[in-house]
Amino acid sequence: MSGFLIVKNIHVDLGEFKIEDITFIVDEKDYVCVIGPTGSGKTILVETIAGLHKPRKGVIILDGRDITSLPPEKRNIGIVYQDYALFPHMTVFDNIAFGLKKRISKKDEILREVKAIAQRLEIEHLLHRKPTTLSGGEQQRVALARALIVRPKLLLMDEPFSALDFNTRTRLRKLVREVVSEYGTTVIHVTHDFEDVWSLARKVIVMYRGRILQYDTVEEVFNRPCCELVASFVDINVMSGIVVFSNDKTIVRVGDIEIVSKDRVCEGHRVKVFIRPERILISKSKPVSKFDNVVRGFIEDLERQGNILRVQVRIGSICLKCISTPNVLGSLDLELGSSVYICFRSSDVRLLVES
Amino acid sequence: MGIQSVQIGFKHICIMTTVLIALILFLSFICLIALPSPKEIIESLKSSEMIFSLKLTLISALISTILVMIVGTPAAYALARFSFFGKRLIMTILDLPIAMPEVVLGLALLLLFGRTPLGTLLEDIGIRVVFTKIGVVIAEFFTALPYAMRMLYSTFETISTRYELVARSLGYSSFETFMKVTLPMARSGIIAALVIAFARSVGTFGTVLILAGGTYMVTETLPVTLYLNMSYGNLGMAITSGLLLLGVSFITIYMVEKFGGRKI
Ligand SMILES: Nc1ncnc2c1ncn2[C@@H]1O[C@H](COP(=O)(O)OP(=O)(O)OP(=O)(O)O)[C@@H](O)[C@H]1O
Ligand SMILES: [Mg+2]
Repeated sequence: MSGFLIVKNIHVDLGEFKIEDITFIVDEKDYVCVIGPTGSGKTILVETIAGLHKPRKGVIILDGRDITSLPPEKRNIGIVYQDYALFPHMTVFDNIAFGLKKRISKKDEILREVKAIAQRLEIEHLLHRKPTTLSGGEQQRVALARALIVRPKLLLMDEPFSALDFNTRTRLRKLVREVVSEYGTTVIHVTHDFEDVWSLARKVIVMYRGRILQYDTVEEVFNRPCCELVASFVDINVMSGIVVFSNDKTIVRVGDIEIVSKDRVCEGHRVKVFIRPERILISKSKPVSKFDNVVRGFIEDLERQGNILRVQVRIGSICLKCISTPNVLGSLDLELGSSVYICFRSSDVRLLVES
Repeated sequence: MGIQSVQIGFKHICIMTTVLIALILFLSFICLIALPSPKEIIESLKSSEMIFSLKLTLISALISTILVMIVGTPAAYALARFSFFGKRLIMTILDLPIAMPEVVLGLALLLLFGRTPLGTLLEDIGIRVVFTKIGVVIAEFFTALPYAMRMLYSTFETISTRYELVARSLGYSSFETFMKVTLPMARSGIIAALVIAFARSVGTFGTVLILAGGTYMVTETLPVTLYLNMSYGNLGMAITSGLLLLGVSFITIYMVEKFGGRKI
């Protein structure tokens, strides 16, 4: 195996909970998000990499060095928590300078570096304050500065934005993306917010009950989940079908309808068919162009969720989740039981051969 | 109507109980302060016995408090942070003296330091514990330790390990992290533990009496002075030592409220 971070066959036993058989590789400067239901062991995984929990089995290699039995202070791994964990007895300046003081002793050099990163993260005006007097977004930027200033080989973040409001989160996400790429940091980021995954990550780890269910690119995990559990977690439509025609397009029979996909699978294979809900358009009349999949059904369920509207459309024996907005549905004059067309592109239909 | 017109509910009964009990306690303090004449108190304060007792009490309590903190801080930290074999048992043993009568603790220590190879060994190297001033310190130490440790333990428990992991990820060893992060964050709890340890050391009677003997002008601390003079019918001296002890208690409560209540 080669890679920047190699986690191989890690087992951690905490008595009531264990994580088992954790194996994955992260490339240098890669950005990996860890998702999974609450209590699935994401925090424990991250803290094991940081060196808090001793694995019972397995190895962790960072940049060519076996760090499995090294204490946290020898690993050169930064960590940022949801609750920021800023030292309350120090000023913002001392918090940021904390790790640097251990490495360099020249006062003016420390001052210069702290100023530079504070400027980059727009917290220069807060340096003399105590952390308890800062807002959540400011505290999180201080925590980020404190971790990044020592240029860790690996940055671990455990739900860093989850305590922030929507706008702050959006702004911080952008800042993190820029700063992390300027510093060339490799990142593992635990999150419950898919927005983090879509706007930051290149790869995703899906955890469930202390195990990794899938580790792949964002594109793959969100469009071709490896199993039912991942599919329901990433909220995608899954159907079973059989390939009835295969040429430059593949036609799959699912229930009473036929679905066209751009994925290539040979005739006769049983396949799982995946379509993301946000890729499906609901229309009242039959649309003319663009969509090579158009089927007729009726609205079985409507559920408002924040700014979006989750719609379930029944087509014979199958049922598809779609996402729309109250606006669109209102202007189409649609309600429960309305008959509709649902349309999606063949390039958005993903196939996975069933074994 | 008649008597029934005044509704006495559960709330009123509870309030009346607390007011009554506080009143009785307060009256007893007033007696302590108001009964003796100021002249008598000043006389007592100037007596060589009182000066000796006060000096011994303060010095022994100071030494015992320092020892309690030196031993109690790492011990409480270990209990709050690490899991190890026999931890529950150790916690129970360390808590026992709080529930135990002081005289029983004193007796147990007396037997340990007087009748066992440990006692003989200490005596051979010139450390006599039983009926000496060292005994006073030891008695105070064991009486105060559990109280201080409880305070320290709950303080360390409330400090999230995340702070420590962050500090260590930034390059600090576990000991450096303890000194630079955990201890400063535990500041108010440590001050509270210090004050409690000192107050318990000053005020302990039973343990000191049994282990150190309570000998006139030798191992006589303030509570012993109070007891000895009461039994001689020397009320002025007894009340004066009582007042001094009361002063220590007031200062203690004030300090605990001031520092202990303000958790980080
Ligand atoms: N030190 C520990 N000792 C024993 N069990 C623990 C310890 N820390 C966490 N657990 C348990 O392990 C399980 C997984 O915890 P973990 O914090 O890793 O979940 P998570 O995936 O981070 O969840 P969330 O998304 O809610 O943060 C939980 O059931 C938790 O109670
Ligand atoms: Mg977690």
